[in-house]
Amino acid sequence: MTEVDSRDSGRSAALDATRRENARLFAVFRDDGASDAERDSAREALVHLHLPLVEHCARRFRNRGEPFEDLVQVGTIGLIKSVDRFDTDRGVEFSTYATPTIIGEIKRYFRDKGWAIRVPRRLQELRMQISASTAELTQSLGRSPTPREIAEAIGCSVEEIVEGLESSNAYATLSLDAGDDSDGADGGGQSMLDAIGIDDEGLEQVEIRESVKPLLESLPPREKRILLLRFFKNMTQSQIAAEIGVSQMHVSRLLTRTLEQLRASLEADD
Amino acid sequence: MITSGVGARSDVELRLPADGAYAAVLRTLTAGLAARLDFTMDDIEDLRIAVSEVAAMVLDEADAGADLVCRFRLEPGELRLDCSTTAADPARPDYDSFGWQVLTTLTTDASVEAAPGTYAVRIALRSSLDPAVIDGAGL
Repeated sequence: MTEVDSRDSGRSAALDATRRENARLFAVFRDDGASDAERDSAREALVHLHLPLVEHCARRFRNRGEPFEDLVQVGTIGLIKSVDRFDTDRGVEFSTYATPTIIGEIKRYFRDKGWAIRVPRRLQELRMQISASTAELTQSLGRSPTPREIAEAIGCSVEEIVEGLESSNAYATLSLDAGDDSDGADGGGQSMLDAIGIDDEGLEQVEIRESVKPLLESLPPREKRILLLRFFKNMTQSQIAAEIGVSQMHVSRLLTRTLEQLRASLEADD
Repeated sequence: MITSGVGARSDVELRLPADGAYAAVLRTLTAGLAARLDFTMDDIEDLRIAVSEVAAMVLDEADAGADLVCRFRLEPGELRLDCSTTAADPARPDYDSFGWQVLTTLTTDASVEAAPGTYAVRIALRSSLDPAVIDGAGL
């Protein structure tokens, strides 16, 4: 309102254009003779025309923990209500009429939807005061303020500040699945769970491999070769038998014995 | 405001069931005490996280049905917390754990005592405010 009135005169031409367009659209919208389609499109055009007003209002509530886009969306509901209810005969500017409705809608959103846990209104307002004066004091002191300094700035007791701080912890209870603000390639943000690491599947294998290595080194050459052919070259026992020149049964016995030895020495190591 | 006749130092003691549900009580009390000691908002936030870590460590080791005994020692600009429980066979502290890294980063001093029968974590935090500012205020 004052912000709108005190706009510098360079913008007044644009404002006049908006005003004329506003009057024209409202005339269509309120015209009983116009078809439903005409009135609908006039209503829609009115909402689009005044969207910057919603953005202007929403901007005042930035940095309070709710995404700007959500505030615009909620504020737009206020704008639509204002368009439907605005009485052109009253002789007030549409923006004058709509601003309190839009802000009211945004405030209601903060009050009703923003809080994860119902907190008494008094504490909700206290929390707003605390976060506002924390920001101010941090600026003026050049450091984080103490609760006492905040209490003095607001004009309440340290006890009340402590109480308000407690309630602010109820404000932001987010689901672990909630995405962060950064947009991933798929448009959705990463959730906290995405960021929590798990043990790599292969991790345990590394340890086993490292423990087995010296044991493998100590095997007799023929046993080592059989293991190599079976498990690294992926040959069947019969193929190995043919390669080494022993029977398949023999290969089987040697393999079993070698694996047993390895397992036994691994367990003995533990 | 805490007004104490015993000079510049006060002790506060809290005994709770060793159950995660009570960790919030410990956090709230700690924040309340720190607020009265003229810790800054940032300090209090750090303290809140530190206390959560302490509680997580101690609760992990506590025997079933054990109590958590939290002793606070308050001095101007400094808060010390000794949080202990009965633990028949506590694990040796893991100084490489993430929790311990968090704790040593946030506190000015942190230590663990693990012995058969008892497990205790102790932390100390100083307000980041200049001591001259705190002098005379608070306690």
